Amino acid sequence: MGGALAFRAATTPSLVLGSGEAPFVESYIAGETAMKTGERDTIAAHLKKTGVSRRSFLQLCSTLIVAAPVGLSLTSKATAAQVARIVGKARRPSVIWLHFQDCTGCTETLLRTSAPDVAHLILDVISLDYHETLMAASGAQAEAALRSAIADNAGKYVLVVEGAIPAKDDGVYMQLGGKPAIQVIQEVAGQAAAVIAIGSCASWGGVPSADPNPTGAVGVDSVISGKPIINLPGCPPNPYNLLAVVLEYVTMGRLPEMDEFHRPKFAYDRVIHENCPRRAHFDAGRFAASFGDEGHRKGWCLYKLGCKGPVTHAACSTRHFNEMPGVWPIGIGVPCIGCTEKGVVWQMGTFETVPIHLATPPETYPPIYSTAGQLRVGAAALVGAIAGAVGGAAWVASQRFQSSTEAGVARVAADISHAEKAKAKPAEKPAEKREV
Amino acid sequence: MSSVPASAGANNSRWERNVPVYGFPVVNGFFLGLSALVLIAFVLSGYRELAGLGPVSGMNDAYGWGIWKTFNLMVLTALGSGAFAVGIAAWVFRRKRLHSLMRMALLTSFLAYACGLLLLGIDAGRPWNFYWIVFPWRWNMHSPLAEVAICMSIYAMIPLAVENIPPILERLWYFDSRLRPGVERIEKRLHYFFPWIIAAAYLLPGMHQSSLGALMLLAGERVHPLWQTPWLPVLYLGAATFMSFGCVAGTTMLCCLIWKRAMDMDVLDEAARITAWLIFGWLGLRVLDIIFRGALGTAFHFDRFAGVFWLEVALISIGGWMLRRSLKHHDTRLMFIGYIISSAGGMIYRFSPTTLAFRPNPQALYFPATAEVLVSLGFISLGIVGFLIAVKRLAILPAPLAEWHSMASYFRFRRPYIRWTGYFKYGHFGENETEQESASAD
Amino acid sequence: MAITRRQLITGIAKVGAPAAVAVAVGTDVLHAGEPIPVPSAAVGLLYDASICIGCKACVAACAEANDTPPDTRGDALHQAPSDLNDLTRNVIKLYKPEDGSSGFSFAKRQCMHCLDPACAAGCPFQALHKDPETGVVNWQADKCIGCRYCTITCPYHIPRFQWVGFNPRVTKCELCSHRLAKGLKPGCTSVCPTGAVIFGPRPVLLLDAKKRIKENPSRYYQSRVYGETDNGGTQALYLSRVPFEKLGLPELGPESVPARTLRWQRRFYQYFALPAVLYAGLVQVIRKSLKGHEEEAHEREKETGLRAQL
Repeated sequence: MGGALAFRAATTPSLVLGSGEAPFVESYIAGETAMKTGERDTIAAHLKKTGVSRRSFLQLCSTLIVAAPVGLSLTSKATAAQVARIVGKARRPSVIWLHFQDCTGCTETLLRTSAPDVAHLILDVISLDYHETLMAASGAQAEAALRSAIADNAGKYVLVVEGAIPAKDDGVYMQLGGKPAIQVIQEVAGQAAAVIAIGSCASWGGVPSADPNPTGAVGVDSVISGKPIINLPGCPPNPYNLLAVVLEYVTMGRLPEMDEFHRPKFAYDRVIHENCPRRAHFDAGRFAASFGDEGHRKGWCLYKLGCKGPVTHAACSTRHFNEMPGVWPIGIGVPCIGCTEKGVVWQMGTFETVPIHLATPPETYPPIYSTAGQLRVGAAALVGAIAGAVGGAAWVASQRFQSSTEAGVARVAADISHAEKAKAKPAEKPAEKREV
Repeated sequence: MSSVPASAGANNSRWERNVPVYGFPVVNGFFLGLSALVLIAFVLSGYRELAGLGPVSGMNDAYGWGIWKTFNLMVLTALGSGAFAVGIAAWVFRRKRLHSLMRMALLTSFLAYACGLLLLGIDAGRPWNFYWIVFPWRWNMHSPLAEVAICMSIYAMIPLAVENIPPILERLWYFDSRLRPGVERIEKRLHYFFPWIIAAAYLLPGMHQSSLGALMLLAGERVHPLWQTPWLPVLYLGAATFMSFGCVAGTTMLCCLIWKRAMDMDVLDEAARITAWLIFGWLGLRVLDIIFRGALGTAFHFDRFAGVFWLEVALISIGGWMLRRSLKHHDTRLMFIGYIISSAGGMIYRFSPTTLAFRPNPQALYFPATAEVLVSLGFISLGIVGFLIAVKRLAILPAPLAEWHSMASYFRFRRPYIRWTGYFKYGHFGENETEQESASAD
Repeated sequence: MAITRRQLITGIAKVGAPAAVAVAVGTDVLHAGEPIPVPSAAVGLLYDASICIGCKACVAACAEANDTPPDTRGDALHQAPSDLNDLTRNVIKLYKPEDGSSGFSFAKRQCMHCLDPACAAGCPFQALHKDPETGVVNWQADKCIGCRYCTITCPYHIPRFQWVGFNPRVTKCELCSHRLAKGLKPGCTSVCPTGAVIFGPRPVLLLDAKKRIKENPSRYYQSRVYGETDNGGTQALYLSRVPFEKLGLPELGPESVPARTLRWQRRFYQYFALPAVLYAGLVQVIRKSLKGHEEEAHEREKETGLRAQL
């Protein structure tokens, strides 16, 4: 066994984690013994050992299903129990978490859960072998811990990166222990199985990359290549996105399906606008025109206040934060700032209205010419019958009239009889004519 | 008086007098059948007033006009323009022979217009606002439809009705000798105004039959180019003339056939000659108009428009040819068929621009609903019922003089007890009687 | 022949000469190509189809502004009219190219408030009436007879008749005249989120449209505004990326439909001169005929002993 690492309780855990979390962190750190990944307990065994109730675990799994209902093979199960069984069988994954140009908000989001159990659960399900904010060590001990964690789990650990990496001027703007951050990440990522860039900063540069970007801050995928990278932008992102990705990787051995920006589709394929609870107000033309006005108080659409929902890919509109419904920006009356999107947040004005663009036209709009009228069989039959009857009657009537042949015959007959009469009484003929 | 020329066929005799149809009861199976249809139409019309036009008809947003307007009004009033066409031929162009057909023409016209206008009242969605017709300053003189509605109403109510009064007055004169002074006074008054009334009876139909054509002018390109033309009013008027000749002459021939009357081939030949002339003149105008507008190409596409066009042209021209041929060969059958076919072609022509050739929307179509067809049929039956009653109770159908005398003897010997025929009380046969005779008889 | 050639010629001359005068007068009064007067306070809409996102806020706002119940006849669940109808004065339609290529466009359809409306030209008792000041074409229930001629004459197929019920009405956009009277804007323009449809005086809208075209000429079809002169000019103006016909706006030319199609009708009936002249002529002719006819009838009466039938 490589050097046993003991995490001591931080001197002031409350400053880092807040007063409520202090007790559980102590127990966590106290009970932890570092192991190689292969020697670790399964997640189920470990949870049992640390006294986590099965009920809490199932709750976590059902929240996972809600967090990633579609697009994740792990959660495409019918019940939380099925998810729990799969997760429980997996070995606890080793996770190394690096910070760069960050605000630690993404770590905070992992811990800012409404029930301490959940954060506890998350930290128990994964084996957080290196985390600068949460670990007690510092200085040389911290560096040693990192080297140890890498060596013990080489090729198997998941590297989570928080914060942007300054790439300008050979990365001189951030150095860890004298080494430029860019070098650090290349070393650590070199031995990782997969890289998760959590937060907008790690995904594409985030806040540090806002104009004029003096440090040349870029996202992870600009400095790392050759490793599977998944971006989880957001400022901060929903912690369940991270958990779902890690567990999917651990249980299924692969990263979930991603879009062209390496964002998992299960969370980032829709824009906020598509699922926004205030969408009906948008469709009906009810907008809040200024903060605090009647529309704002009634909860109307915030588009005219600069909501970037229409161009922001994220799942916030369906999965709010802190496991509490309504706890998300639009839910509390603040227009979305588009924190996941490069080119939107920190580039556009917060209250600038965003142009809405539709890539393909919707299917259910009225066409330019709509159908009208129909051919009625019964009526057609009736009309046909009437036409037939009238035509037939006309034909029958016409047959009763004398035709030319009959007239000709009659004429000939009349001529003959007339001629005979004339022969019989020749004298009277002229007299008859004169009467006329 | 001329003798019957034997060479003209066995059925020729001169029409000298209009004689009511006698010996045939008014109420028979056919009459009852028609009355049933009329009743059905009335019931459905009542339903339409309550439920609206949609449930009773196949009209929709794209085709706002159904067969009530486009057939019963546009087509059947064309057939019923006999008072106009035959009248002008008889009175303006002084074709004296056609005078014997005048009463038939007037009756058919009146019935066609009356039933058409009644159905127009049913077809209008908000008929209670018709009262605006009484205020000329509210008329929209730009609107062809206003012209049609106003002109047709005035025409049907005044000149046409007045022209149909003489047979009724005549019957009253024969019915009761006490009414005679009053009847004669009214007749004298009427005769004083006749020139004005008859002139109106020719001007007004000329105006509204052509305005019926102008109605579809406003639809512009939505009417297929084979029909849409600035000459549409003239073509509609022309179609009305030969169609109405066909209707009047054809109906008269049919009536003579059914009720065993002799036909006057001189008159019918004259009518056929005029009709053929009208037909070929009209066809020439129609075809030249299409050629000069450059629309002839569309007649050779393989679509339903070209089909309808050629059907029209075929029916009308073959009908006209048949009429001409029947004149040469004294063939009454060919004449009858010729009238029917040419009128049918004319009907299709007048019907097309509003429905068959009207394309408001490439996805829309119109077909009448069953109820709609029944109402239309019912109102046509109403006209026929009116015709049957009138022709058997009034002197409408032309006949030789001998027919009048036969009628007299019929009533004297066969139905002496029936006084309500109106024409003959027992013992009086309608000859000019002296006052004493009539007084002593009562 | 009953008429001699001389009689025919004199008859024609009697009728023809005054008729020729009447036609000449009529021709003078209604010149083709005469510009149609624009109302003094003409207001209208400018709809830019290239900005419209098809959100249909205007459809909902129109129904609300006019107090019409929602049209759920399509699927009984949603207010989703598939076309203008008796409950829908304003609709958003979608044009998609049949070959599946890109280049789709939304089309807002409502009354165009033409400068010379064909609906008002055809309406028998002037139920459809163009306001002389604002130019808005209004429907008045107390004059309408429900003949549906307006549904046939309108080249844009806008007025719609109510097919159900014993008191049917004709429905079409009236530019929210009731709101204009209170100084408000029409319902559709007040809710459009992108400003695709705007309201204003017609000259101002025309200037705005032309400015947009000037700034971005390749964006707009034929670099022109539909309705400036089309159909004699309309008060609802359109800008579009795709051909106007694809949006359902036919190419009608600069003459309005009534002016183009009813020219000869109008000339014939101008001041009723021609009909009056014809009438006078007819009366003369018939008087003569009648006299001859009555004489003959009386002769026959004497011959047959039966009362004459006239």
